[in-house]
Amino acid sequence: MSVFGTRNGSGTRRAALIVGAGITCSFVGIAMIAEFWTPYDPAVLSIIDRLQAPNLHHWLGTDQLGRDVLSMIMAGAKNSVGVALLSVIIGGFIGVPLGLLAAARRGAIDELIMRGNDLVFAFPSLLLAILITAVFGPGAVNAIIAIGIFNIPVFARVARGGALQLWTRDYTLAARVAGKGSMRISFEHVLPNLVGLLAVQGTIQFSLGVIAEAGLSYVGLGAQPPTPSWGRMLNEAQTLTALAPTLALFPGLAVLLFVLGLNLLGDGLQHRRGRTE
Amino acid sequence: MKRGLLTALLLLCAMGSHAAERITIGMQLEPPILDPTASPAAAISEILYGNVFEGLVLFAADGSVLPKLASSWDISDDGLTYTFHLERGVRFHDGSAFDAAVVKYSLDRARAPVSVNPQKSRLAKIRAVDIVDPYTVRVLLNQRSGGLLQSLAWGAFVMVSPQSAETNAVRPIGTGPFRFSEWRRGDSVTLVRNTDYWGRPVELAEVAFKFIADPTAAYAALMAGDVDAFSNYPAPESFPQFAADPRFAVFAGTTEMETVLALNHRVPPLGNLLVRRAISYALDRRAIIDGAMYGYGTPIGSHFPPRNPAYVDLTGVYPHDVAKAKALLATAGYAHGFSVTLKLPPPSYARRGGEIVAAELAQIGIRVAIENLEWAQWLDQVFTRHDFDMSIVGHAEPMDYDIYARDDYYFGYSSPEFKALIAALDDTNDAARRRELLQQIQRKLAADAVNGFLFQYPRLDIWNAHLQGLEFDNVLGIVDLKRAHYDRVAGDGHGIRANRAVDRSVGTNFGIGTNHGAGTEGRARPRALRFAGGALSAAALVLCIFVARRFGGAYLAGRVGVLVATLLVATAIVFVIVQVVPGDPVRYMMGLQADPDAVAATRHQLGLDIAPTQRYFRWLGGLLRGDFGRSFTYRIPVGELIADRLQVSLPLAVLALLLSAAIALPIGFIAAARRGRAGDLVLSFVTQLGLAIPNFWLGILLVMVFAVGLHWVSAGGFPGWDAGLAAGLEALTLPAIALAMPQAAILARVLRGALIDTLHEDYIRTARAKGAGEWQVLWRHALPNALVPVLTIVGMQFSFLLAGGVIIENVFFLPGLGRLVFQAIVQRDLIVVQSVVVMLVFAVVTVTFLVDLSYVLANPRLRDPSAV
Repeated sequence: MSVFGTRNGSGTRRAALIVGAGITCSFVGIAMIAEFWTPYDPAVLSIIDRLQAPNLHHWLGTDQLGRDVLSMIMAGAKNSVGVALLSVIIGGFIGVPLGLLAAARRGAIDELIMRGNDLVFAFPSLLLAILITAVFGPGAVNAIIAIGIFNIPVFARVARGGALQLWTRDYTLAARVAGKGSMRISFEHVLPNLVGLLAVQGTIQFSLGVIAEAGLSYVGLGAQPPTPSWGRMLNEAQTLTALAPTLALFPGLAVLLFVLGLNLLGDGLQHRRGRTE
Repeated sequence: MKRGLLTALLLLCAMGSHAAERITIGMQLEPPILDPTASPAAAISEILYGNVFEGLVLFAADGSVLPKLASSWDISDDGLTYTFHLERGVRFHDGSAFDAAVVKYSLDRARAPVSVNPQKSRLAKIRAVDIVDPYTVRVLLNQRSGGLLQSLAWGAFVMVSPQSAETNAVRPIGTGPFRFSEWRRGDSVTLVRNTDYWGRPVELAEVAFKFIADPTAAYAALMAGDVDAFSNYPAPESFPQFAADPRFAVFAGTTEMETVLALNHRVPPLGNLLVRRAISYALDRRAIIDGAMYGYGTPIGSHFPPRNPAYVDLTGVYPHDVAKAKALLATAGYAHGFSVTLKLPPPSYARRGGEIVAAELAQIGIRVAIENLEWAQWLDQVFTRHDFDMSIVGHAEPMDYDIYARDDYYFGYSSPEFKALIAALDDTNDAARRRELLQQIQRKLAADAVNGFLFQYPRLDIWNAHLQGLEFDNVLGIVDLKRAHYDRVAGDGHGIRANRAVDRSVGTNFGIGTNHGAGTEGRARPRALRFAGGALSAAALVLCIFVARRFGGAYLAGRVGVLVATLLVATAIVFVIVQVVPGDPVRYMMGLQADPDAVAATRHQLGLDIAPTQRYFRWLGGLLRGDFGRSFTYRIPVGELIADRLQVSLPLAVLALLLSAAIALPIGFIAAARRGRAGDLVLSFVTQLGLAIPNFWLGILLVMVFAVGLHWVSAGGFPGWDAGLAAGLEALTLPAIALAMPQAAILARVLRGALIDTLHEDYIRTARAKGAGEWQVLWRHALPNALVPVLTIVGMQFSFLLAGGVIIENVFFLPGLGRLVFQAIVQRDLIVVQSVVVMLVFAVVTVTFLVDLSYVLANPRLRDPSAV
């Protein structure tokens, strides 16, 4: 029995899922379009046009150097999607096998992996990300690594938890009887059944990655100029709030909307899974 | 006699009451050395001229000359003999006397063939310096030199003692009202009051000049009260914001610095007068001033400061006219334009201005490739080797039009007519004639379009509104501290208390960042930290005893073993990461020109000369004793630094946590009670929004609405707890809200889920069977059981909030733990970085450990993790 299965809740949740998927796809789409086309070149300055309020030519106005804010936000989406997605992939590719291994072997290996997880969780994530970017220099690639490291224990834990349950199922028992090794079973029988669970977690980590990337580039440790990034746009807008308040508005709204979409999508996916199982 | 004694006593008292007055002044550039007679860097004079060093004469604000160490002078009728009468009783900071011999030494040293004096050529007409008597000096000239007195007012010709002249570069010793105290490379220069000063005593006891290169950091430092003033504030875009803020006083004036688009006359197209004129027509000075300087700056049409009485406005000679510029280019044979490089030094006027100039020149077909250089590269390539086409740079020296008469100067302008004008100028002392010649000089430079004359650089200064008598408006651009003092704290009439308040407010102003030097003050702070630590360990001990009694010592020992192992591994990881950080902290502190012996000594002093493994164990041993080591930058125990910053971070985290709980509890509760219905869905959407909003953006929005818009609170900074509990809380309110929102959303969702989960339990069914209503079931039966996961989240959030404030502290310019780490990373203060991170890891691990133990106590089934 689902506690949400009552009244109109189910329909609203489906709507939320659709809205979430819609927003997410739009942002990913915008990021892809920005690769080829933006209304203006986000790298071209035009001092005469600087600090314009939103108008017909510049829908979201212009920044302190006369660059088109809409174009910069579009190019920023590219950066945001790229960093968050790659950090999820890093986390998944390292964390999931670790989790599967822990679940398959149990014992000392399990203990070691889980203690390692706890250790990473114990670090103040943002501080360590700052430290990592300080060590390897600021930039999008190092931001990906810094965020990705914290995705590893998350995926390891989720994969382990899910796999432990699947190891009690009949089909894994049958595979074991057939003489397959534990890692082979993990990849052939356990992993395919974890895809839904991992997709949900991936969406959540994606949204956290978007926020983390914005935070890192806000403090100057993300993508470096001239690559536009939402966080740095917010940083640059901050000393201009009295002159051009919209500059501090739109990049933040972009982050908010994108993360909201991802969260709605993740939630919706989770409830679908809850219903089908 | 009696009266004299009384005056002296009063004076002593007055001085005593000011004894603690200490201010910090921010500056963008750090001087390479501290001897103004050996380097042209403007930062040297900015700090030392008039404060540590003094000259024979002094510039007045209008460029005229006033007496200083020379109380008066006579000029012979033929203009070839200057007789200076010196002040008596003047002594250098090292006790040596100032007399005619010193003047002779200083001037002869500056004009000697081996002299490295940057303005040496200005004394070229001196034939001899004669000592008439100990307080009279005669300067004999070969030919007349109308600008001699002005030249002697320059920082390059300050009086130096023969005993200390060679060490002034690192230990400047002068006759001024302040004596040099300390130079912390990469960080600050500190001056202290010269109690034996020959003139009017100064009011400040200590002044630190702090070097903050980044414009945004300058903004933050002022907002956070890390500095009491900023000389030559580098971020014009935020200047109006300070002007409107009553906590600050501002000054917007002008400098002697002409900002020019320098053209290299040695390269073909730019040697052509028509091309240079075309470039001048192509430049839109207004757009450049607006774009690069946000409107601050005065357009100029020649190389001459508008505030000088002899100024002629020549900005109309080449108005912005693209068509005319193109026509001139075509006449010159460059109808299709040409390509050039534009080499830019680091300041933002050059970088921003360069992008605009490039765009403007593109309009007339000149294709500009921009190259951004560091200062050292710029000095080497552009200034010394003349390997450039165009550059943008400010010429800061006053009355420096004579650079256009030097053939070997970097832009390579060579005009016999111009040289004749300069020679004529130097040959006359007649004011009217000089004025006329100065105007001809300006017209000649404009007519030849020697450089693209852009704008007179503005002088923007910002200081604490309580700081009085600070003087920035002068020809040499120096920070004149002679009359600077803090006004008494308004409305505080509690005698001694007021005095103390002044002392604190001066040292800390509105931040705790600056007062690290005050050793005795620092003692009290770690006590608070130690108390907190003691309370925590006591709680842990009690908990451990309970656990040991219920489950036996072996179980507890196992758990503690895991805890200790985790912490050990964590310290090792942090240590290794920090070791990898590129950049030698000692090099960073000492600068590139540092003496190798000094570097080695500092390295030894900081304990960096031993093997890493040994260093790790030393650090670890220190940690066990509660000794975090000594900060490389601040040279005080890291524990004190951390305790200092915890005064901000800890209350902020607690406040945010309370706020988060206060918001989350009702939301989670209502959502659970109305689960699946409209109310739940609305609240669910609200918490989704809360999760999606980046906290730093929320912070920016809150500042825009409540600080910039409504003026309810200040835009950032921290007044210190000395300013009162209310003021402290006010400063922390917005940051706490920004931090709390996303946490509240998480907490509300966890609470809702936990409440709903308990509804499956038997005791809930029992309660329902007994006829309890929905709200009563939730409140009396479900809530107590749901609190376990909620408290876990709260525990984890606390440590997150403690560290997670890094970004929020940047938004609100709070001098907290996060900013400490941030600064420490930038300054390569490794020991601070590793200690703070380890401390936070320790906090997280310990809190988790304690929460785990309390679980086990509450629910013994959890003892075996596999049973869950």
